[in-house]
Amino acid sequence: MNQHIRTIADLDRVIHEPGRLMIVALLFAVDRADFLYLQHETAMNKGTLSSHLSRLEEAGYVAVTKTYRGKVPQTLLCLTGTGRKAFEQYRRHLKEAL
Amino acid sequence: MDEIGNLLDRPRLYCNIDGLGELAGGAMCLGFALILWPMTHTPAGSVWERIPFFAFVVLMVLIHYGTKAAKTRITYPRTGFVEYRKQWNTSAIAAVSGALAAVGLSVVSRRHWDVSMLAPLAGLAFAAAYGYYFARAVRWKWAIAGAMALTPFVIAFFPTDVLTALGSDSPAAHPARARLSGSILVSLMVYGTMLLVSGGISLWLYLRRTPAPAQDGQ
Repeated sequence: MNQHIRTIADLDRVIHEPGRLMIVALLFAVDRADFLYLQHETAMNKGTLSSHLSRLEEAGYVAVTKTYRGKVPQTLLCLTGTGRKAFEQYRRHLKEAL
Repeated sequence: MDEIGNLLDRPRLYCNIDGLGELAGGAMCLGFALILWPMTHTPAGSVWERIPFFAFVVLMVLIHYGTKAAKTRITYPRTGFVEYRKQWNTSAIAAVSGALAAVGLSVVSRRHWDVSMLAPLAGLAFAAAYGYYFARAVRWKWAIAGAMALTPFVIAFFPTDVLTALGSDSPAAHPARARLSGSILVSLMVYGTMLLVSGGISLWLYLRRTPAPAQDGQ
């Protein structure tokens, strides 16, 4: 396999999925954000967003904290150190591949 | 790659999605004008000369916590909460620029230099900052940025006696200083009003476009 193709094959598939790429990129730019913000920015429905977040949480890229805003439940999300490194590496690989 | 860059930029633009940043900026400009007014219209050594520092601190605290409270009640329940990464370099640049501007104004004021020629540059810098922080997300705000860039040129055509009268109670003693103070006062009032108007329109549009807060949690 030549170097160029290997770079494409090395892309992190957890992040490469468009929905998850949006989530990770949005979280990369902030310290933390809540579920409603991600829903507003990505225009995904609750179910789809939840399933993407579960996949990212499984991979150790996103940390989920359940809390309350007054009496209303709130889900706070932030990118972990591993998630940040993975995203930086993904961008580097994508740049090389393109 | 550009799409990823746009995504990375979105949280920064979200900061003023509700126009509260502009409203805070407008309140700050008008507050500064309100603080500057007694400073320039009271005799030297009066108690008003000591008040500005405390008034400045009170103003900044009110704006900081007022914006926070408005975000908590209006923005976060509608379109979500975001906590930004602490960027020490941005805060440091703002603090150093503020300190340099204050020192520069104080030197200019003490030496009675006529720096009215620099006013258009300040106006352009203000318009550029507005363009970068607020207008690049919304096209109609470039009209406001253009008006901001033109403001110093319009103020330059104001009659000198009006500006000096606005800037000091005894303009004859230090005319250059009185004219500078008058120009700053007028600029602060004009920029403050522009920011309030553009922030008010943004807030009105935001409230119209976003649904009422959901109470079912996340």
